[in-house]
Amino acid sequence: MDNKYIDKMFSEMDKDLAKRGMSRRDAMKLAGISGAGMFMGGVTSASADDANTTVKSNAKGKIVIVGGGLAGMSTAARLTLNLSNPDITVIEPQELSVSYQPGQTLVGGGIWDEDDIAYKRDDFVPDGVKVVKEKAILFNPQENKLTTDKGTVISYDYLILATGLHLDFERIKGLEEAGRAMSAGDNEKLLKALGDDGICSIYTAKGSTKTWEQMQKFIAKAKSASPDKKIQFVFTHPSTPVKCGGAPKKIMYLTNARLKEADARENAELTFYPNGGAMFGVPEYHDAILGQFKRENFKWHYRHNLIEVDKEKKIAVFDAKWQEKGPWDPVLKDYEVIPKHEKVRVPYDFLHITPPQLAPREIAESDLGSAKGWVPVNKETLQHIRYENVFSLGDVAQVPMGKTGGSVRKQYKVLVDNLIALMNGKKLEAKYAGYTVCPLITDIGTVMLAEFDWTVKPTPLLPLDPTVERWMWWLMKVHALKPMTMYGMLSGRA
Amino acid sequence: MQIEFELVTYDEELDKFELDETMYQIELNEDDAETYHLLKDSDLHLYNWLKESDFFTKYIKEEVYPDSKNKKIAISDINGISFRRFYFFKVTSGDSHYEYFKKLYNIHEESDWQDREDVGEEILHHLSTKRQELILNLG
Repeated sequence: MDNKYIDKMFSEMDKDLAKRGMSRRDAMKLAGISGAGMFMGGVTSASADDANTTVKSNAKGKIVIVGGGLAGMSTAARLTLNLSNPDITVIEPQELSVSYQPGQTLVGGGIWDEDDIAYKRDDFVPDGVKVVKEKAILFNPQENKLTTDKGTVISYDYLILATGLHLDFERIKGLEEAGRAMSAGDNEKLLKALGDDGICSIYTAKGSTKTWEQMQKFIAKAKSASPDKKIQFVFTHPSTPVKCGGAPKKIMYLTNARLKEADARENAELTFYPNGGAMFGVPEYHDAILGQFKRENFKWHYRHNLIEVDKEKKIAVFDAKWQEKGPWDPVLKDYEVIPKHEKVRVPYDFLHITPPQLAPREIAESDLGSAKGWVPVNKETLQHIRYENVFSLGDVAQVPMGKTGGSVRKQYKVLVDNLIALMNGKKLEAKYAGYTVCPLITDIGTVMLAEFDWTVKPTPLLPLDPTVERWMWWLMKVHALKPMTMYGMLSGRA
Repeated sequence: MQIEFELVTYDEELDKFELDETMYQIELNEDDAETYHLLKDSDLHLYNWLKESDFFTKYIKEEVYPDSKNKKIAISDINGISFRRFYFFKVTSGDSHYEYFKKLYNIHEESDWQDREDVGEEILHHLSTKRQELILNLG
C-alpha cells in the first residue's frame, strides 16, 4: 500500500484542525475514538502486532473474488492474513475500483474534490494476490468456472461475489440514454444524459463533481431570486434498495447549508420525495430526522417514486402511492388494504436523483442470482443458499440493510472466518448481526451518527444519545473514516 | 377437557384452501390436556402437536372425513387461535397479518424504500413452503 495517500490525508486533517486551534490528538480524544492510534500514524506498528499474532490456517483451495472494490479487496487482504498459503485471484476491470465512495457526498457538497476520493486498485492489491483486469460475465457454478469478457475461463474452488451494484438510470423515462452506471469510471453516457441544466446525482464519482457545479449554479440563481418565486430544489429516493440510504438526505442537507452560507436560503424551496413512508427504518432516527426537516423548513412527500424526467420542461414525474381501506375480509376477519397510485408532475430547477439500483445483469441472470437479482445468501453466514462454496458480501449480497461501507466492515470478517471454516471442513460459526452505520451529515460541521442493526433499534458504540447531531461525528466523517477504510479495512485489519 | 377446532380442505390441483365451516370438538385425556396447556400460547407448536397426534388423525379419519381417500386438510382454528392467515393471506391483507408474518419470518422492512407489495410477495413466498408443512394428508 502506498503511503502517499495517508500522508495527504493527515496533512489535510492537520490543516483543517489548525484552523480550529486543535491538534490531531486533541481532536481524536474529543471524538472518543479509542483506537485513534491508527489514525495518528500508528498503522504500521499496530498492523505488525496483529499480523504476528494471527494463527494462520493451512487450508488450501483456489479462491476467486469477483469485484475488487472495498468489499472484495478487504476480503482478499484479510484472507492473506489468515491463510498460510493463499491462492487468491481478484477479477476487477476498473482502475479506480477502490475509490472512497462514502466521500462522494462531500464532493457533491463542495467539501472535498474528486481527487480526494480517487484511489487506484493497483495500489491496494495485497501481496501475493493476483488481479485479472477483466470483467466476469458468465458464471457456471455447477462446474466452478466463470468466463470473462475477454474469453478467459477461470476455475475456482471457492467463489466470493463482491461485484457491487448497478445504478439503473435508464429505468427513468427521459434518461434512457444514460444506460446503467457504476460508481467509478468516466460515466460519459450518464453525464451526457443528465445534461447541464440542474439534473445531477452524487451516486457516481464524476456525478458528484457535477452535482457541486450544478448546486453552485442554482444557488447563484437563488441569490437573485425572491421569496415569492423560489428556486425549486428537488431530491429523490427510489423504490429499490440503495447503497448508503442516508446519502439522498445528506446531499439535501449540504445544499441547504450552502444556500444558508450564500444567504440565499429564503429564496429556495427544498423538497424531498422518498418512495417510502418514513425518513428512516429505525423509529428513533426517523423522529430525529423529521425534527431536523421541520427545523430547516424542508418540505417532503412520502411514497413518491421518480419515474420520468422531462428535461425540456424541467418537470419530474413521480408515481405517487397511497393506501385505502378495502372491503371486509370475512375469512381473516379484517379489512383489506388497497394500494392506489397516480402520476404527479413536479416542476424543478435543481433535481438530485438517487437512481434505482439493482444487481449487475451478469449476476441477476445467472444461477447465482435470486429472483430479484441479488445474490441470495444466508444473511448471517453470508454463504450462498444453493452453492456452499460461494459467498457474497457488500452491495450485491441479498442482505437486509447491508449496502453500506459500515456493513461491509462487519461482513468481510464474518465471511473470511466462515470461508476458512468451510475450507477446513468445520461448521460456519461466524455470524453477521446486521450492524450498519450511517453518518448522516445534517449541516457543514454536524453529523448524526445513526448506528443500528436488524433489531431496528439504535446500537450506538459509545454511550451518547445517537439522535444528537455532533461536531465530533463530523470530524470523524471527514477525517477519520477515510483512513480507517483505506488503511484499516483495505489491509484486512479494521 | 374438550377443544374446539375448525378445518380447511386443500385442493391440490387449484392450490387452494377452502373453509370447512363446521366447528368440531374433541375430548382430550389428562396427558393431552396437560400438553395442550403447555403449548396453547405458542400457536405453531400447538398446531404441530395436534396435527401429529394419533388421536386427532384418528378422529378426523373416522368422524370428520370417513371417505378421506387422498384428502388433504389443515387446521384453521384451535380453541379460538386462528391459523387462517397461513392459507388465506394475500398482498391486500390487513396490517396485523403483515406484522405477524414479518415477525415469524424475520423480515426486516427497510421502510425508506420498500413497498408493502414487496413485503407481501416475500410473505407469500415463505407461505408456499410453510403451507405444505401445515397440510395433513389423510392418505
